[in-house]
Amino acid sequence: MIAYLVNLATLTTIFAVLATSLNILIGYGGIFSIAQAVFFGVGAYAAAQVALHVTPDLLVASAAGAGAAALLSICLALPALRVRDEYFVIASLGLQMLAVTVFTEATPITGGFGGLVGIPPASLLGLPLTDPNAMLAACLGFLVLVLVLTRVLMRGSFGRSLMAIRDNDTAAEALGKNVMVLKTLAVMLGCAYAGIGGALYSAQMQFINVESFTLDQSVLIMAMVIIGGTGTLIGPLVGTVLILLLPAALSFIPGIPPTEIGVVQQMIYGLVMTLLMIFRPGGLVTLRTRRQ
Amino acid sequence: MSALLSLSGLNRRFGGLAAVSDFSLALESGIVTALVGPNGAGKTTIFNLVTGNLRADSGQILLHDKPIIGLSPHRIARLGIARSFQDLRLFGHMSVLDNVRAATEPTSWFWQAGGAAARQQRRERVETALERTGLSGLTQARAIDLAYAERKFLSMARIIATGARIWLLDEPASGLDPRSRAQFVDLLRSATAEGVTVCLIEHNLDIVTEVADRIAFLDQGRKLAEGEPADIMQDKALAAIYFGDRT
Amino acid sequence: MLFAQLVVAGIQTGLLYALTAAGFAIIFGATRIFHVAQGAAFALAGYAFLMSNAAGLAWPLAALLAVVVAVAFGVGMERWVYRPIQRHEASFFTVFVASFGVTIIAQSLIEVSFGRGFVTLSTPLTQARPLLPGLYVAPVFWIALAVTAALFLGLAVFLRFTRAGIGLRALSESPELLRSYGLSSSRLSVLAFAIGSALCVPGAILTAAVTGLQPSIGAHVMLISLAATIVGGIGSVSGAACGGLLLGIAENLSITLLNTQWSEAASFIVLFAFILLRPRGLFGLASTR
Ligand SMILES: Nc1ncnc2c1ncn2[C@@H]1O[C@H](COP(=O)(O)OP(=O)(O)OP(=O)(O)O)[C@@H](O)[C@H]1O
Ligand SMILES: [Mg+2]
Repeated sequence: MIAYLVNLATLTTIFAVLATSLNILIGYGGIFSIAQAVFFGVGAYAAAQVALHVTPDLLVASAAGAGAAALLSICLALPALRVRDEYFVIASLGLQMLAVTVFTEATPITGGFGGLVGIPPASLLGLPLTDPNAMLAACLGFLVLVLVLTRVLMRGSFGRSLMAIRDNDTAAEALGKNVMVLKTLAVMLGCAYAGIGGALYSAQMQFINVESFTLDQSVLIMAMVIIGGTGTLIGPLVGTVLILLLPAALSFIPGIPPTEIGVVQQMIYGLVMTLLMIFRPGGLVTLRTRRQ
Repeated sequence: MSALLSLSGLNRRFGGLAAVSDFSLALESGIVTALVGPNGAGKTTIFNLVTGNLRADSGQILLHDKPIIGLSPHRIARLGIARSFQDLRLFGHMSVLDNVRAATEPTSWFWQAGGAAARQQRRERVETALERTGLSGLTQARAIDLAYAERKFLSMARIIATGARIWLLDEPASGLDPRSRAQFVDLLRSATAEGVTVCLIEHNLDIVTEVADRIAFLDQGRKLAEGEPADIMQDKALAAIYFGDRT
Repeated sequence: MLFAQLVVAGIQTGLLYALTAAGFAIIFGATRIFHVAQGAAFALAGYAFLMSNAAGLAWPLAALLAVVVAVAFGVGMERWVYRPIQRHEASFFTVFVASFGVTIIAQSLIEVSFGRGFVTLSTPLTQARPLLPGLYVAPVFWIALAVTAALFLGLAVFLRFTRAGIGLRALSESPELLRSYGLSSSRLSVLAFAIGSALCVPGAILTAAVTGLQPSIGAHVMLISLAATIVGGIGSVSGAACGGLLLGIAENLSITLLNTQWSEAASFIVLFAFILLRPRGLFGLASTR
């Protein structure tokens, strides 16, 4: 039981990193991507390769994951700079479908459908993380780092410029903002976070395959951000906890057969997303409007 | 002395419509020039040509005698040309304070250059802008929650905060009540007293006579007249066009 | 002859895509609402037809029921989801997420009610008969062709010659009009949703008969109609129709060249290229920012 809880806590921490990563794009940048699982995957594969062939150190693996994801994020930045919202959503959807195929077919790097197995247990600065509690602590450490960096950047001029572009890009340009550079940086930052999430995930699971990086996963991450609340620091964290606890909570409700829990869970978050958009589009955690 | 900003022979078509034809204008330093003309005359289009939001089909725009045509809007903004929009385009989900602060931070990197001294300077600019527009008490309100006049003044506050020396204002006083309008006129006066150059689009001729040093009259993309307010206002032919009596 | 056979199959799929995409385009054109739940309307209509038919309802009645379900769904979305949202904030994201959420709900409802597997209808109409030596065509192909032709003809007449149709086109040609149209624009948008949703019914029924339905069909159809809309140009009805037809043919032909994994990916590479290089599509007028 304890082992189960520690594992759940670690996964929640990792998904909190992912939700924060998507929040940079959706919440602060107004870049509505449904391809975040792609960069999660890229980070996971890159980190797994590093762990398998170079070093099991989590810092190195995370750096590799973040770097690879940031590099490939150009695939997302390009349409984000060129086209309107409607087109961009579809482009990101297309990227997601394409990536799943590539993940499945690029066997030398990703292990194909079978995935990468036997990823060695991670270590951090020479300390082994074989104990689940140590791994949880390490993941929490990464989450805190990501959150602190996010807060510093988003409270600063970078975040302000980004939100200005989100709210009105022409006006932001008229104030001297370089929309192209800012959006590219935002996409790279968000995707690098997702890459870190992927690195942590591969270290935690010690096995990864394409199943974890599909459209369904992207939609799940999106649901976390949207339900929790876009453009706030804690919103995505709340969303992550709610969504990851939902299956566990459902399993306590009598009358739902275990095989149907997945479906019921989907139905619930579909319903919650729709209702929130109608009644509270900012998500559960919204910035209070302070008008004296 | 040559003009600060000079437009010459500008042309811009939209399909078959000549929105701006052979338009020339010189903005002198510290002078308020009003662009007057009926709806659809091409006034906003001229602003868009200057700020790089639209590209002129032909013609020349010189700032300090250097051509700026072809530069992207953010570069032109950084050269010291600030503009307001007819539909304001505030950053709706950001606070009043952040709207104004954003105007003082042009650098597109993770942080701004210049360190503590520059930060202090930016803070002072934000304070001045908020004070002059009377928004100091509303710093934490979101832009979309503001009342109409407050929004208009927030749009002005952003412009003040940029520190630009040339302001292009697109109907900044339309719809203001008399008191706010007087406040706006004061705001403009104190800016020009400090040497800011203003080009103003305005339909209300009372405001125009009150603040403008020069008037350029436009109709259907062409400049029909330019001169001192008194002369333009007395022109019967222009009044006929402006008030829709074309017989 | 394999080639001809695949072209025939491609046209058949393409016609169904064309109708669904045209429905999507009508809705988007008139209301600027990105109604991704169009796929859900497709799935619901298909299941309504299959299940009522299996329960003993004669097929014309079952088809009518499918139309009723699709139209009720579309109009309901307009009334209970989009309109309340647009009352406070009409941002693209809000509308998109709500619509996407409904798609997820519909899919899981279908899964819970009818199971995860394929359900299909057995009918002699799908048995292929030789048309030329080596070329087999099932009667359902001619049905698809006739139905699509009739519907597009009807649609063209409607959009060109009736007051309501002209109103819809006016809305799609100048979005500013949407605002200044006042009262009747809301009635027009209900109409757009009714017509747009009804247009996916023939595709749903024929798909049920030809390949069968499964819960995720809605998501698949959504992707295809979005893709068709992009290829054809957002908001252009005839563009969406051509885009749908093209995609159907391409999907079938690519099977000969690539394995199935890559053939789906190939269509998205094409889509991606379109978005980056020619975002206004083949026919559309909308352009980059
Ligand atoms: N991007 C554009 N595409 C097509 N036509 C345009 C565009 N921008 C402006 N126009 C047209 O150019 C003409 C001039 O427009 P402009 O907005 O400059 O007028 P204006 O003088 O600012 O009018 P108003 O007083 O109503 O603001 C109008 O007929 C307008 O419809
Ligand atoms: Mg104007």
